[in-house]
Amino acid sequence: MIDFNREAVLLLRSAGAVAGSRRLIGLLEIRRRKLQFVLIALIVTLISYLVLMINGLGVGLNEQAGSALKNFNADAIAYSERAGLSVIRSELSAELVDEISQRFGAESSAPLGYVAANYATDDGEIDSAAFLGFEPGTIGAPKVVDGRPLTSDDRDGLLVDSSFLRYSGLDVGDTVRVSIRLVERDFLIVGETDEGNFFFQPAVYLLRSSWQELKYGSSGPDLPAASIMLLKGKDAAGSGGEGWTAVNKSTAFANIEGVSGQQSTVQALQLFGFLIGGLVIGVFFYVLTLQKIGQIGVLKAVGASSFFVFRQVLVQVLAISIVGVAIAAPLAWATNRLLQQVPNPVPIAFTTSTFVGTSALLVLMAAVGAAFSGRQVAKVDPIIALGQQQ
Amino acid sequence: MNVTLEVSALSKTYGSGEQAVHAVRNAAFSTQPGEFVAVVGPSGSGKTTLLAMIGGLLRPTAGAIVVNGRDIAGLGRGEQAAYRRDTVGYVFQANNLLPFLTARENLLVMAKITRANGKTAGARADRLLAELGLERRANAVATELSGGEKQRVAIGRALMNDLALVLVDEPTASLDSARGRQVVLSLIAEVKQRGKLGLMVTHDMDMAMLADRILSMHDGEMTEIAKPSPAAG
Repeated sequence: MIDFNREAVLLLRSAGAVAGSRRLIGLLEIRRRKLQFVLIALIVTLISYLVLMINGLGVGLNEQAGSALKNFNADAIAYSERAGLSVIRSELSAELVDEISQRFGAESSAPLGYVAANYATDDGEIDSAAFLGFEPGTIGAPKVVDGRPLTSDDRDGLLVDSSFLRYSGLDVGDTVRVSIRLVERDFLIVGETDEGNFFFQPAVYLLRSSWQELKYGSSGPDLPAASIMLLKGKDAAGSGGEGWTAVNKSTAFANIEGVSGQQSTVQALQLFGFLIGGLVIGVFFYVLTLQKIGQIGVLKAVGASSFFVFRQVLVQVLAISIVGVAIAAPLAWATNRLLQQVPNPVPIAFTTSTFVGTSALLVLMAAVGAAFSGRQVAKVDPIIALGQQQ
Repeated sequence: MNVTLEVSALSKTYGSGEQAVHAVRNAAFSTQPGEFVAVVGPSGSGKTTLLAMIGGLLRPTAGAIVVNGRDIAGLGRGEQAAYRRDTVGYVFQANNLLPFLTARENLLVMAKITRANGKTAGARADRLLAELGLERRANAVATELSGGEKQRVAIGRALMNDLALVLVDEPTASLDSARGRQVVLSLIAEVKQRGKLGLMVTHDMDMAMLADRILSMHDGEMTEIAKPSPAAG
């Protein structure tokens, strides 16, 4: 006769077996059905990878549009009034530059000239770059990461962005031929910066007088002294005077020609990426729950609450989506590194916030999908346990 | 435990009008603590429906099911789930084990549902498996178990939380007669020693004869069969 109520205490099995008894059923299922869950994790990984790459592309295009503008050591940008916030059309006279400088002080303002010009790469091809004329010692001077800064005597000197060196195949110490219209001029690269692009082109810095010569063919007080002015100060954005107006950097960035169209395209891509990615992940887990309705019925028939069952589903969804995102993130990062090695890199860039924000949102979308599964779990009638066949 | 059950005027009708199927009609019986009752009858006679209503899986169309003074016939979904969790140990005809769990884990699921202490639950699961002759199969995944082993694990699962009502639907269908008899006698011993109530649906009259009383179902109607006395047998 079997005695179910024997009071004798059996020795416990191994500590591992006891720990196993505490493990969630949802996680045990993942462990036992590895192939099924590996395939699901693979799908989540691929979708997460796709969404991360789209977001990286968004950030990359943004940076290409004008990260140099965002990196200016300024709170606001002043334009000539008739330019309509266009750097290309903006021209500030020497009088206006003096007036603005006096208003904000020499330490909180700096004139900056802009012109797009061509240059010859080391293999003789012609490419274009954004040439920015600045005054050494002002807030317009870029940070130099290699080589040396420009001095007032470096009339033929250039500071170039690292992307310029990558595209052109040139290096610090090399001479580069710059051409605009019919004028050609040789410059010496004296230093490297890491300020990024301006107007979708690598930023190249030169003295303001050299910029005047490049743009207008000569330099002098009768020619426009700058395209824009960089301003610092709480009240700089929104300020203005006769013939000039200033806006903050975000507004200035949004007014770069082509940026607003590009931004809306990228935002639409990101939105659809999240929507479709999230929907696919959510539907996937919903279908997974539908497949387990029989088991859910059994669990409810033996007394499990809907919440208990939902917890098992949720833990599976979170575990799989976190694993998927955790694999996709370094994969996207490695792809980006690889793409940066090619001669004409795809403009993909990742920031910590891109990774963290995108990953968190994807996991959240998966949890939302699981929430829909929760409704299905609540609706399962335990009576179906009577009809279940093993 | 001293569990009492009183079923009165219990009916279950599926559909309505001319399509109505009366699965159980006016069933009535009561039990004493420690009683083990067998319910026999042909297929479709309403045995499983009766068991499902007492087990809180089905809501009756009419009548009362009073367990220890509480009528469970009209409980809401949440209350029904709590009743099943706290009162009913159910052995389904198709054992219904979770296929990805081991025999031992299938028992421990019950402890997880009630948030029982892990160590105590582990020890009880091991003891039950040993008593059911499954000690060596404790770590076998459900899909690796034979039909008889699965049925014994299902019985262990029903007994895991030491609940007042032990409801078993054809518990010996997958077992040979010797093992089936042993299992039923063990269930009877469990019910009697702990003052529980056992209700067993079976086709097997030999097994039914082991119970204290036999109820017969036919076309949804219940009658009690007088058990032959041991002397007559």
